[in-house]
Amino acid sequence: MKNLKNITTRLEIAKKKIKKKDIKDQGSNAASMGNALKISTELVASVVVGSTIGFILDGWFDTKPLLTIIFFFMGVAAGILNVFRSAKKINEKFK
Amino acid sequence: MATNPMHQFEVYKIGPEITLGEINLSFTNASLFMAITAILILSFLFIGTKKKTLIPSKMQLVAEMSYTFVAKMINDTAGSSAKSFFPFIFTLFMFVLFANMVGMLPYSFTVTSHIIVTFVLAAIVFVGVTIIGFVKHGFKYLELFVPKGVPVVLLPLIVIIEIISYLSRPVSLSVRLFANMMAGHTMLKVFGGFVVSLGLLGGWLPLGFSVALTGLEILVAFLQAYVFAILTCIYLNDALNLHH
Repeated sequence: MKNLKNITTRLEIAKKKIKKKDIKDQGSNAASMGNALKISTELVASVVVGSTIGFILDGWFDTKPLLTIIFFFMGVAAGILNVFRSAKKINEKFK
Repeated sequence: MATNPMHQFEVYKIGPEITLGEINLSFTNASLFMAITAILILSFLFIGTKKKTLIPSKMQLVAEMSYTFVAKMINDTAGSSAKSFFPFIFTLFMFVLFANMVGMLPYSFTVTSHIIVTFVLAAIVFVGVTIIGFVKHGFKYLELFVPKGVPVVLLPLIVIIEIISYLSRPVSLSVRLFANMMAGHTMLKVFGGFVVSLGLLGGWLPLGFSVALTGLEILVAFLQAYVFAILTCIYLNDALNLHH
């Protein structure tokens, strides 16, 4: 039981140290990097998916290249929407 | 050693060729490393939780930390209603993390640097989340594609954009992991090749880069597993709670 008491005090000291450190580096580098990687691919993926859908629909309706062009821009819009939403979520976290 | 930086991504079969009708089911180096990953995770958790003490040993501490890390992540991003999906997300996180880390060892094979592996993982998440959404909300789940407060004239356009945005989820999820792992490993190999070709005189600079890049790659390996898991939680949250 002595050992347990010992570890409680040691834990408390360690926790105090962590608290001090936490205030210093809020929003660590790793988390920001994760967000950056996340957002950049989101923008690209929507454009690719949009263009692919347009290309497939073009094949069905025989309207090359009209639908590919239209859906490319829709994909761009969807990508920007995605990035906008992700950025909003990050902002909420820091409030 | 092959000097081609893409040689490390080659898939070849180990042992006899197994075919089932038209499908080739041979055991490859990719399957071998997936099996190694699974065995490593199982033995890590088994050894870590074998001797349960109040004051944990180092192994038990790491095992418990990985549990708390994922549990906290689910609670923070998807809420308490997603608690029942903990086993799935924990498995996903550990598999991606260990596959990435095993790939960092020399002479090993990185399973997650192949888009088919990451795409299957992302497709499981995507199809699963969609099914959960429909089971929980019925056809009301389609309201996800109709944001509130949009004029009726713009609605057809917005719905199509929302559908594209929804369909892009598995693509961005899989391409992110695959591209990061492949780019990183190719870069490591290219700098390694520079060390050999520049020799004793000029090889020190790329060697330094290689060491620094290895550190960065380990960070990326962890980060990608984390991002994969946290995005799964976010998609799950959308399906369970239905509000942006």
